[in-house]
Amino acid sequence: MPTISVNRKDLDKLLGRPATDKELEAWLPLVKGEIKEVEAATGEIRLELQDSNRPDLWCVEGIARQIRIKLNGRPDSYPYLRTAKGRLDQILVEQGLERVRPFIGGCKVRGYKIAAEGLTQLIQTQEKLADIFGRKRRTVSIGLYRLPSIKFPVTYALADPDRTRFRPLGYTEPMSLREILEIHPKGLEYGGLLSGHDQVPLLRDAKGAVLSFPPIINSRDVGEVQVSDADLFIEVTGMDLRMVMLAVNILAANLHDRGASIEPVEVVYPYKTAYGRTVRMPQAFSKPRAIKLSDISTALGDAFSLKDVRASLASYGYTVTGSGSRLLVSLPSYRSDLMHTVDVIEDVAISRGYNTFGPIMPATFTVGGLSRIEQLSDKVRELMLGFGFQEIVSNILSARVDLIHRMRLPDGHPEARCVEIDNVMSQSYECLRQWVLPSLLRVESASSRSFYPHFLFELGEVVVPDPQAETGTRSEVRLGALLAHANANFSEAHSFLDLLCFYLGWAYTLTPTDHPSFLEGRVGRVERDGNVVGLIGELHPEVLERWQITMPCSAFEQVIDLPSKPQS
Amino acid sequence: MSEVTQLAESLHPHEVKVLRAFDASKDDDFCTEEDLAKRSGLEVAQVGSALGRLQVKGLTRIGSRLPRTEVSLTETGQRYFQRYTPIVRIISALKKASDTGAQLTIKDIQTREKLDSSEISEAIGELKQEGVVRIAAGGIVELTGTSSTTAESLQKLIRLLHEGTKPLLDFTPSEQTLIKKFSQKRGKPNEPFRVDERESRRFGLTETGKVVVQQILKEGTRDEITLLTPEMLKDGSWRNKRFRKYTISLQPARIVAGKKHPYREFLDLVKAKLVSMGFEEMRGGLIENEFWNMDALFMPQFHPARETHDVYFVKEPRLSAPIPEPFLSQVAGAHEHGGHTGSSGWGYTFDRMRTRRLVLRSQGTAVSARTLAATPHVPGKYFSIARCFRYDQVDATHAPDFFQIEGIVLGPDINFRTLLGLLTLFAREVAQAQEIRFAPAYFPFTEPSVEVHVRHPRLGWIELGGAGLFRPEVRLPLSVEVPVIAWGLGLDRMAMVALDIHDIRDLFSADLEMIRSKRVQY
Repeated sequence: MPTISVNRKDLDKLLGRPATDKELEAWLPLVKGEIKEVEAATGEIRLELQDSNRPDLWCVEGIARQIRIKLNGRPDSYPYLRTAKGRLDQILVEQGLERVRPFIGGCKVRGYKIAAEGLTQLIQTQEKLADIFGRKRRTVSIGLYRLPSIKFPVTYALADPDRTRFRPLGYTEPMSLREILEIHPKGLEYGGLLSGHDQVPLLRDAKGAVLSFPPIINSRDVGEVQVSDADLFIEVTGMDLRMVMLAVNILAANLHDRGASIEPVEVVYPYKTAYGRTVRMPQAFSKPRAIKLSDISTALGDAFSLKDVRASLASYGYTVTGSGSRLLVSLPSYRSDLMHTVDVIEDVAISRGYNTFGPIMPATFTVGGLSRIEQLSDKVRELMLGFGFQEIVSNILSARVDLIHRMRLPDGHPEARCVEIDNVMSQSYECLRQWVLPSLLRVESASSRSFYPHFLFELGEVVVPDPQAETGTRSEVRLGALLAHANANFSEAHSFLDLLCFYLGWAYTLTPTDHPSFLEGRVGRVERDGNVVGLIGELHPEVLERWQITMPCSAFEQVIDLPSKPQS
Repeated sequence: MSEVTQLAESLHPHEVKVLRAFDASKDDDFCTEEDLAKRSGLEVAQVGSALGRLQVKGLTRIGSRLPRTEVSLTETGQRYFQRYTPIVRIISALKKASDTGAQLTIKDIQTREKLDSSEISEAIGELKQEGVVRIAAGGIVELTGTSSTTAESLQKLIRLLHEGTKPLLDFTPSEQTLIKKFSQKRGKPNEPFRVDERESRRFGLTETGKVVVQQILKEGTRDEITLLTPEMLKDGSWRNKRFRKYTISLQPARIVAGKKHPYREFLDLVKAKLVSMGFEEMRGGLIENEFWNMDALFMPQFHPARETHDVYFVKEPRLSAPIPEPFLSQVAGAHEHGGHTGSSGWGYTFDRMRTRRLVLRSQGTAVSARTLAATPHVPGKYFSIARCFRYDQVDATHAPDFFQIEGIVLGPDINFRTLLGLLTLFAREVAQAQEIRFAPAYFPFTEPSVEVHVRHPRLGWIELGGAGLFRPEVRLPLSVEVPVIAWGLGLDRMAMVALDIHDIRDLFSADLEMIRSKRVQY
């Protein structure tokens, strides 16, 4: 979800009139926007935009446009989308790029005296598009240039990184492409996108002057746009032609809305693309989609007339044709998010306003209920509460040191196996707990000053490796109980375990065992129906020392949900 | 019953003993705690606490306060009791040395006896002044043969004071000088003695107290008892007993009791609400594959929320069992070109191997996706309270793992307005809110998507949750033909208010005192 910064005056100018706070609040649902912060002094508004499929809304121009269309009741017109006569300036693509960064697009912008706010917004849009929509320039990156310095046609070709030199932005001396990759901050940041390629993309004009080294850095000589520049060249490169075209269309619409005139260019490919070998940009590339009126009414639960739908969609930017019960709708050039009829249906609802729909309360009869395991869990919890135990709820992500080392489990012990995270963020949360007892010791360790005795239990999930299971792991629901006081011992814990099993109707046996976490000779395995389901014992003093606990502790832990037996 | 009788009967046996220890024949008999202890046969501490209660009841009063100087041993003094004073240890070290012919410097003695430099220099200074030792050439310390009176007196005082605190006036003037010399003061924190100015209090009876004493004496040694015993009930002897009356306004002693965890108590309430509204519970594992966690929810494989900075991946094992058909092919089709869903799809090559990559469940919707694929009831309502994991820096608003409360509603009559109706029901039942606002929202798996804001009775306008109709690209590949509502409630903020906490990590606190003392205000 992008968050952008918008200047209130700039927004008013683009809207065509000043908007009150109340109006703004009422309009923001149209763009799925939410105000995060307002700086009254500077008129700066921080807006969060929710829709990750609407990159056209991640800028003040797009937000203003969506609201303006609503106020006007019809879409703006973008004359540069109409096919013009005459030859267009060209971008020539050379062979080999299909393996590196196949697509390029662009347009020329004239007669727009860039003011400071306009430039700030242009750069913000460029960054949001390349960063979020273009996934950190991987799929889309954008370059802006001073048009007067460029002689067409521009050539998009592969170059030898050691043989080509130019002055990149931020440096005064020419550098080779390899030097840029190795030294320049942008080279270090984005160079990974070109790894594995001996030859890299380069953009040059007809005089041979370098425009940029996409997707890394522009030339300082033609690629440094400044306030008061009037004519620009915009270029977009990427891995997906539709995304490249959409980015060009958004930038073109934004600059057009600010009063510039847009001149299309023609991209000539040596290989086939979904839009032919010669692709004109910008172009309205969305195909019209047929929609049945009844589908809209059924999905929204309200009877919509043809007129209603037309009005709703036109005031949301769509072009609507067709008649009767079938409509042909097409998206404006700066959108490409129509995959299914439901996408249009949502726009109808947004345009009319969600709060104009009367809620219908659920009337269908269904029987509610808890799962078998939840019912059993609740029963166990109720018994433990009745036995006088305090319930605990812990995090499942844990540190290995707590789950294994502090429990005296040697590496390689069967119970020391736990599921670990590949992309660990913090050592404190590097794996999932494979038993509950360490969570209870964590509480005990932090609570020596709380009134004794401590009778604690947690009924919660753990994860254990299980090669037989679908996910190679098994989530188990377990009960852990800890008794901490001056006379805490095995038999007291045993009494509680025994009573619990009695009320649950569980026949269990205890078998003496060795376990590093417990005192030798004072630990047993709990078995039910021939399965080992848990442990009971007095905690080993060394375990208590490692947790810095100075009170004797006994404990038991057992699995609640036995794997269900096949029904006979 | 008169007030006096009532008072007399409510007294604790110790209080009666203390009252009777006063000499009622004298007009004003002022006694110290120690006097009263001697006369009553109680411990001084018992007398002290009885006097405290009697004073509250207005039966005794403080007659006079006299300043008193007391001497006690400090920690250093206690140590000297165990291991002798530095002076004694230096003398004995020197004696031992002269027996073997060894020569010791100050440094040697200090190392041998493990003394602080301040301790040894003070002790040597004292001994030199007394003429007990002299420093010879080469810094060698020698005994002169004179014996040290200081050493002996100090040792005796330490022994005496080890038995307990004593008034300064109990000691001879020369002992008092010695005590003062070796007592803790500013700049000399490591001395064996401590002199404190205390107050010696004398207690007397109030006018009411005197009347009560008369009453007690008049009653004589009535057979008054504290506890009813089984024997008394068996032989009926309770009939001849008088039961002491309790002062019931005293603070009771604390007990340990079983109690639900406050967060769990909150979740139990929500769970009960959902069941009462006809929702069935569904469950799933904490470890999921990418298929159920994301692919089945129509999140494209290049979606930013699927990267390592958003989801935790499992280190070992890396892959789940293969995804069952027909779901794998149907979901792959929906992603690539829409399949049979009427969608154009995302238009990329779907990586079937990636569907098996194991992750920590990042959204409860994964549980809904599995339910959809497992022939759910139609019409049907489902919910889950699922523990989820996100790759986030843990702070006051992000817990390492957290609960998501969410679910689905299936039925042939489901549409946008019934979706709003369901959210209205949640707002009323779960948040007790009457005012509701809907706003467009975005989720990759629903369209239309909506966010519901409610005016909470205590919080004002808050976001209660998000919901929408599952995209056909989600439900059709899982073989569900009817429309499905997907809903999720964000209740953490409400839980935090109900529990009166301000840091989300406190929902999983390890502080037992806090867990025990929280009350849920729902």
